[in-house]
Amino acid sequence: MSKPKDKDGKNTGTTRRDFLRKAGYAGAAALAGSATLMANTDNPDSQATWAEWFQGNYRLMTDQEKKEAIERLEKRYSAQYGKKVTVDDAPAIDGVLFGYALNIQKCIGCRRCVKACVKENNQSRTNTEIEWIRVIRMEKGQFSLEDMDKGYPAEAGFDHGVQVGGNAYKPAGVVLEGQHYYQPKKVPEKDAFYFPIACMQCEKPPCVKVCPVRTTYRDPDGIVVIDYNWCIGCRMCIGACPYWARRFNWGEPNLPKEEMNPKTHYLGNRPRMKGVAEKCTFCIQRSRRGRYTACVEVCPVGARKFGNLLDPESEVRRILARKRVFRLKADLNTYPKFFYFID
Amino acid sequence: MKTIRYASVVFSTAVFLIMSAGAVYADNTDTRKVIECYESRQEGSPVTRRDIEPGWPNVKCSSTSEGVLWWGDPFDGTIPMGDMPIEADYSRGEAVVRPRIPYIDRNKLYTICTEACHNGQYVPVPESKKPRLLKMHKDIVPNSLDLQHGRGGIWCLDCHNAENRATLVDNFGGEISFNQPQKLCGKCHGPIYRDWRDGIHGKRIGMWDKAGKKRWWVCTECHNPHDVQQGDRNSGFAQLPPEMAPELPKGMPNVDHERLEHGAGH
Repeated sequence: MSKPKDKDGKNTGTTRRDFLRKAGYAGAAALAGSATLMANTDNPDSQATWAEWFQGNYRLMTDQEKKEAIERLEKRYSAQYGKKVTVDDAPAIDGVLFGYALNIQKCIGCRRCVKACVKENNQSRTNTEIEWIRVIRMEKGQFSLEDMDKGYPAEAGFDHGVQVGGNAYKPAGVVLEGQHYYQPKKVPEKDAFYFPIACMQCEKPPCVKVCPVRTTYRDPDGIVVIDYNWCIGCRMCIGACPYWARRFNWGEPNLPKEEMNPKTHYLGNRPRMKGVAEKCTFCIQRSRRGRYTACVEVCPVGARKFGNLLDPESEVRRILARKRVFRLKADLNTYPKFFYFID
Repeated sequence: MKTIRYASVVFSTAVFLIMSAGAVYADNTDTRKVIECYESRQEGSPVTRRDIEPGWPNVKCSSTSEGVLWWGDPFDGTIPMGDMPIEADYSRGEAVVRPRIPYIDRNKLYTICTEACHNGQYVPVPESKKPRLLKMHKDIVPNSLDLQHGRGGIWCLDCHNAENRATLVDNFGGEISFNQPQKLCGKCHGPIYRDWRDGIHGKRIGMWDKAGKKRWWVCTECHNPHDVQQGDRNSGFAQLPPEMAPELPKGMPNVDHERLEHGAGH
């Protein structure tokens, strides 16, 4: 076996055997590292991580295991972010099914809901910026009836016979790329309307159907949640969601210490790790403690309404009874708990 | 030789780390702490950021639009809503509002204007409510013959109390506090008022449960009563600066990339 040579013809000194021997050393070192993790060190990070790696699916954990998992996380986050971080595990409240209503006639597209959500829910701020809400800008007349027949792509060489609705220059009922990147000086613009989308908290969520490890599931109060620790990062849910609601942590989330919201929920806004999916949870850490979600509170025009769908006197139920309401992509039979309405 | 190579690797890694840390710091726009911001309408609902407890502010302000983005305490600076004429949602639970008088009195002129000027002698009580050209108050209504509210159907004294300028006026000549403008606006805007009472119109923060404590937004916190038509826009709500657009995905140079580079149909 000749020794590998670099471009100058000199021996680089690395053979397969050398490599394997070094790999062996590395493996031994890794084992030693694990031993350090298990040992009683003062570093909360190393202690928590070891047990965290081997914890079970949140839904299958006993109460004791949940308690331990939460204590581990609180310890780790508190050390990591330099403040007292609490991790809530409040379960769904009996007799509550959360529902959301949004007045698209009122929305001015100011994106304050988007940023409020980021402040509340500890999303990655930069370098993969993650925002759970998208506000899509649409031109008035985009959905006019006469355009619905003009669906064929312009300058297409042959007729695919595919009806797509509108075309690239005058889309009809089609959301094109870049429609949520608008940046005028002031909103609302003339002849535009705005359409915020986020997780619709479906009754039959496609994301839950496809999750191969069942780490995302729908709780009895209607919130579709994710146990981030059990997520394997396969991104099937992102592909399955018809509402563009899920985001993926492609890198290590970038959450500055001073920006971090220390009141968190295990299934909600606790800091995420690299390689997990995340999405709107109706601010589970707030809503299960009775508080309005962050986006409802921040909306300067009061277009966002939130409440209990099982209570006939709640705001959302009154809107369903009194206003003209629709759900996005109702034809998909996902039964969203997010309603759009107009006065 | 080897040492040099390792050293250079270590050095470049260090440089890269420092540079990326710097980039992160530069990208983080929220490092600029905004102290004075507004809640719903610009120049109409100001709020000052302060810490309720260490590290827990009453509000977080946006460094882009200077609007409030987050409430640490939804009931900060509120008072009970007070008596309302009709039993409705605000009758249950605790309904609180942020008083409007401190805002109206921000230049400390509220008492002076109402007691020293409009005392019936210095400025006499007008005999009729008929519109006339005003020399004063041009900061609030630039042209008093072109009031941007009611399309010529109403004028100052349909809302302001001629006898007591510290108050608004109801249908019977009675007084309405500036802290309860909904009683005044409901005189004309009946269906909106009904929706507001039921929590469909307008904004409330606090607890979502119907029995829970809520801060109710009153009319003038979102609408400017002296310019409610907004000229040609014909809308009750003034325009606002928006927050920043999301970052473009990596490798996407501009928002129209697909269409410009890859033709129609994309």
